Amino acid sequence: MTDNDIILLDHGSGGKVSHAMFADLILPLFDSPELARQDDGAVLEVPKGRLAFSTDSYVVDPIFFPGGNIGDLAVNGTVNDISMCGAQPLYISVGLIIEEGLPVKDLKTILETMAAAAKKANVRIVTGDTKVVPRGKADKIFINTSGVGVIPEGVDVSGCSAVPGDKIIVSGTLADHGITVLSEREGLKFDSDVRTDSAPLNHMVKSILDSECEVHVLRDPTRGGLGTTLNEIAGQSGVGIRLYEERLPVRGSVQGTCELLGFDPLYIANEGKLIAIVPEKDANQVLEVIRADEFGKEAVIVGEVTDQSPGRVILETLIGGTRVVDMLAGEQLPRIC
Amino acid sequence: MSLKYMEEFRDARLAKELVKRIKAVSTKPLRLMEVCGTHTMAIFRHGIRSVLPDGITLLSGPGCPVCVTAQKDIDAYVAFSGMKDVIVTTFGDLMKVPGSGSTLAKEKAVGADVRIVYSIFDAINIAKKNPTKEVVFCAVGFETTIPTIAASLLTAQAENVSNFSIYAANKLTPPALAALMEADGVEIDGFILPGHVSVITGTDAYRGTFEKYDIPSVITGFEPVDVLKGILILAEQNEAGRPDLINAYPRAVSDKGNEKAKAIMNQVFEISAATWRGIGEIPESGMSLRESYRQFDAAQKFGIDMPDVPEPKGCACGEILMGLKTPEACKLYKKVCTPMSPVGPCMVSSEGACAAYYKYA
Repeated sequence: MTDNDIILLDHGSGGKVSHAMFADLILPLFDSPELARQDDGAVLEVPKGRLAFSTDSYVVDPIFFPGGNIGDLAVNGTVNDISMCGAQPLYISVGLIIEEGLPVKDLKTILETMAAAAKKANVRIVTGDTKVVPRGKADKIFINTSGVGVIPEGVDVSGCSAVPGDKIIVSGTLADHGITVLSEREGLKFDSDVRTDSAPLNHMVKSILDSECEVHVLRDPTRGGLGTTLNEIAGQSGVGIRLYEERLPVRGSVQGTCELLGFDPLYIANEGKLIAIVPEKDANQVLEVIRADEFGKEAVIVGEVTDQSPGRVILETLIGGTRVVDMLAGEQLPRIC
Repeated sequence: MSLKYMEEFRDARLAKELVKRIKAVSTKPLRLMEVCGTHTMAIFRHGIRSVLPDGITLLSGPGCPVCVTAQKDIDAYVAFSGMKDVIVTTFGDLMKVPGSGSTLAKEKAVGADVRIVYSIFDAINIAKKNPTKEVVFCAVGFETTIPTIAASLLTAQAENVSNFSIYAANKLTPPALAALMEADGVEIDGFILPGHVSVITGTDAYRGTFEKYDIPSVITGFEPVDVLKGILILAEQNEAGRPDLINAYPRAVSDKGNEKAKAIMNQVFEISAATWRGIGEIPESGMSLRESYRQFDAAQKFGIDMPDVPEPKGCACGEILMGLKTPEACKLYKKVCTPMSPVGPCMVSSEGACAAYYKYA
């Protein structure tokens, strides 16, 4: 299998060609004893505690974009979902659905990126599956990842746990991922420095939980952005949320693109940011812990939890006015992750 | 293109100072209409209503191009999407607008070739790449988009792109203002005139309406400082009883506008009557292809002539567009009509009054 080859239906047949691809391409990249056994499933040692389990599918278009590709997006996405349960992710699975005709070179790049992302997050890819579908039946490549992690004793975070008085911390700039992908689409070639923020957040979460600060909610505002995620939390916890526009961290070039296209950065996806909702007494310390992480340098407190208008998110605008930040209704940008 | 956003016009201190001055000057009730969907959005996004004195009411006028597109024109777009070997190209906003039977989004879901483009030039490129198919572009929009459409047709003509055509439902702004002033029951004390449209038309385009109706009018930009400055100017005129036509957006708008854009527009199109959704036919408010560009007329090419259809029962889009009702006064609002399942066009476009109310109010 050389870089000049393309993926054929044979590669998903389960026969010799499939096996050769697994042995020559996949196995050497994913340094994993469980995968090397080539059993039907992975048999795993799990530390004592509660298990967090999550799954997500990735269909982003285009598959390559500034700062990353569908591969690291798929690994980081599941790592982060498990992390937001308060767990340390340990193992993940990878399901590849490939459209025939995908250049092997592209597949190799994606798999290399996945391996690097897994290594960075310190998780192991322990089981997987590859299917190839006829041309036109998928778009280049779709990836599903699932993963498990263990929640340390004493940790209990949930979207239901926000209480009035809590502070809301966001770990960095908003909307970078969504705007990066959009900018790469046909006909929208902006010359901008925007890159995806796709990153594993499990080390940051571990630092937060190890700090012995009280943490009520951890969430990553992916599809639907900060606005939608905070609405979910306000609904789950039965509280109001107040945000301050002047504190929302948005890069100039992202803001400019949003203005040009009529998007609100509050509703655009992030792939490497978290929201931490913590009691006021611990807010500054958690903020410092987040800022000490390589992916949290631009963290800020953007607002607070209130007992006003339960279930609603209210934004205080730059000019001192207020408006409702509703959940995204449906004009979501398609296929950004 | 490098993107750096101008933050000066979001200056909180300046904005708060303007609010203070509006409150100080404003004693009489004031009903102002913004005639641009982008203004509607900006007013909500920045929470401008929440900082104004109670006596000032902001009404959202017929300024969202999707919202004013007649139902029969949407029906025509849907009809094109059902034709064999036709690719329909459209701006994204139109996808979910209900015609009398279907939407472009629904037709696409069951197999029609409908593609969202960001520019009509993308549509022409699709035509060039698909020489065995016909490509129809759904042309909606005001003076801001018409010159680009005209320029693209000149390109298509020069390059002999014969499998491309448009169905034009474009509209002109100044005739709509006059129609509003003539309509029964409409109470407007001042117009916040559209910044983008005025870049093309220039301030002079509104002079006729202003002189005839003697109504306070101000052209503004879209940042909070722009909008507040516009409202202050209108409040001052209202208090003093001295209506004027003011360009408060001189960084973008001139008296004459963009002469080159207007010339291209008039080369390709001629003024005609147009049907505005919910309002009806307004004379000289539309643009039709001139005789020498009729080869690009999709209606003629495919023999499409859709009948007028009644508005959906209970939908108050027309009254909302004329400032006679607020979205909340519509019986369908938030009950039957939501952005997820819109009945009228004002709920579909992000610039529509109902969608903006739904999202922000």
